[in-house]
Amino acid sequence: MWKRYRATVVSFVIILALVGLMYAGSNATRTASVLLSGLTLASLYFLLAAGLSLIFGLMDVLNFAHGVLFMIGAYLGYSTFGNPRLLLNTLPLLLVLAAGAAIGALAGQPLRAWEATVRRRAADQSVRGAQGVLLALVSRVSPSFLLALLAVVLAIWGARGFPLNRLVAFEGTATGGAVPTVEAQEALALMFGRLARMAAAGLLIGPIFARREEGRRVRAQWPPIVLIVVAAIGGVAMLLARDPLEGFLLGLSVNVRFLLALAVGALSGGLLGVLIETTLIRPFYGNVVTQIVLTLGLSFVGEELVKAAWGREGRPPMQMPTFFAQSCRSDNLIAWFSEQCSSVDVLGRAFPTYRLFIIAVGVFILVGVGVLLRYSRLGMIIRAGVQDSHMVEALGINVRRVFTLVFALGSALAALGGVIAAPFVGVYPGMGTAFQLQAFIAVVIGGMGSYPGTAVGVLLLGLARAFGDALVTGGVTLPWMEQALNASPAVARASTVLIMAIVLLVRPAGIFGRKE
Amino acid sequence: MTNVLEVDSIHTFIGQFQILEGVSLEVPEGSITALLGRNGAGKTTTLKSILGLTPPRQGRIVLAGQEIQGRRTYEIAMLGIGYVPEHRAVFNQLTVRENLKIAERKRGDLERRADFIFALFPDLKRLYHLPGGHLSGGQQQMLAIARALVPNNRLLLIDEPSEGLAPVLIEQLMEAIRKLSAELTVLLVEQNFTMASHLADKYVIIDNGRTVHRGQMAELSRDKETIHRYLGAAM
Repeated sequence: MWKRYRATVVSFVIILALVGLMYAGSNATRTASVLLSGLTLASLYFLLAAGLSLIFGLMDVLNFAHGVLFMIGAYLGYSTFGNPRLLLNTLPLLLVLAAGAAIGALAGQPLRAWEATVRRRAADQSVRGAQGVLLALVSRVSPSFLLALLAVVLAIWGARGFPLNRLVAFEGTATGGAVPTVEAQEALALMFGRLARMAAAGLLIGPIFARREEGRRVRAQWPPIVLIVVAAIGGVAMLLARDPLEGFLLGLSVNVRFLLALAVGALSGGLLGVLIETTLIRPFYGNVVTQIVLTLGLSFVGEELVKAAWGREGRPPMQMPTFFAQSCRSDNLIAWFSEQCSSVDVLGRAFPTYRLFIIAVGVFILVGVGVLLRYSRLGMIIRAGVQDSHMVEALGINVRRVFTLVFALGSALAALGGVIAAPFVGVYPGMGTAFQLQAFIAVVIGGMGSYPGTAVGVLLLGLARAFGDALVTGGVTLPWMEQALNASPAVARASTVLIMAIVLLVRPAGIFGRKE
Repeated sequence: MTNVLEVDSIHTFIGQFQILEGVSLEVPEGSITALLGRNGAGKTTTLKSILGLTPPRQGRIVLAGQEIQGRRTYEIAMLGIGYVPEHRAVFNQLTVRENLKIAERKRGDLERRADFIFALFPDLKRLYHLPGGHLSGGQQQMLAIARALVPNNRLLLIDEPSEGLAPVLIEQLMEAIRKLSAELTVLLVEQNFTMASHLADKYVIIDNGRTVHRGQMAELSRDKETIHRYLGAAM
């Protein structure tokens, strides 16, 4: 019994000791607000770390691109909230690209089959002379790959100069908030040019997605025709509807737009996750080094893409939803519900209500994912897959689909975290890396792949960071000290790494980790 | 008698090492077929090749009239193969109930089969809510077999069930396998020749990744020379 709960008990003793030390060194009021600050950070770290930990536990993938999803989520949420028209304008482009790719995948099938034949004949050394050289050449530089490269060039040409960077291009305000200026938009004629290039890019990249197997019977999956029709109709509809839709969105209250930003961020994070897992991660399962290099590279690419789309400089924190924006201080949480003040009284000190919201979201996700893992069939499959995914597959379960699902879930949580962080820390191109590093440390402290471990890890880290900051700003006077102990900012930053070092010295597999 | 499974000269590689160089075998419907051979002969790899866990590069595998080589593991399993791997691979974090529940292919499979399973392994009922990791070796073996019985399988691949078990438990296990073979066809990999010879109707011997002998178990039991030559230490 003791053995089973040892990790939990030990980690809570550590946390209590941290809180006790803080309390001894100052007073209850300050301790409470430092504690809440710590929980806020822990919440944000958790949204990133939960996905990292699940993905590592199930698929053994160290996803260094997780922070990028956090950042992209933040930027997309910011756009949705501040200037939805720009985002609406990208939808037709994406739909056209998808439609093109679907057609390309269908039409490219013969090309892929031909390539497979060529590759097989090239491997068969008996063909010599000019024909043999030609075969070898074609099999090495596959035409569909060249087409895909061309597609990337076309897509860049199609997207270049697209005014996505005006995150908040406003002049004046209306009931629903600010109104975008006219010049934030492009003329429709320019848009048509972009659409045409995107469609062509999709067509060219399509063959890559065609089923590769030669000779094997091709099973009808999703009827691509449906996809094409939906995407085409959707593209035209989006183009026609962008003005009314934008009017509608800006007419919504700020609170609703904030919720919308959360939804858009999480959803696009999930979709991006699916895209990344199926195209980039899937071919390399079991190949750890390739995956690390790949996701690390992806994180650089993602960061540069964000810089290209939204500019190198960050933005100030996103406007708060009115729910957390009235400039007053509520006496307690119940009063806050009616007054919607920006801060609430905690033992005589003002604490921002939006941070309480961040904590609430963190707790909600913690419990939600925990319940999913514990009680659902998917959770059962995940817990089993963490131990032995081959055995799970041998039971007749499509493990790859579960992998994709978990990757998407983790990505969606990270992106959601990004949107939630935007009103708190703003958005800037390095935010993904900064938060990802902390999330990684939390996962390592907790024990790689352990869900409760991750929760404890972020808690430790968030609190340590907040205590460190308190040491820097106000100093702490412990009972046996004559003077307040002040630390340099470096100590606050180093505190998390220090904790990791200590934990790993005592338990090399992390607090909840198991030796393998 | 029709064959549930036919394996025709499969060649399997793990990395660059060729493990199987032409294994062929048939498993007739309703039989228990023993797959015998020395350590490292390729028995486990044969089972894994059938399931697509280590896909063969050459050869044909036919399950109830359908070619299955090259398909994904979960698709093959869905066609009605239950797998009881070596070292059991019970999920430690999952309770006994969850270990069984996860094997469901249709909702309610477990409820439908519960009586059959508990009749074979009464112990599991008592341990129903315990984590799989807390079970003893014998209990885990029973759970692993029970797990393969939850869905409607037609063929069971059982790998070394007696490994590391006390003789009393082996007796129980043999009894259970004999009983369940009334409903399912079994392909059994076994080092313990006594156990295999008592259970199986037919046998296949592989050596160095090739099928070298096959026939009726009753004949093999009398053929001391073949036993000595290919199973040697196992006797």
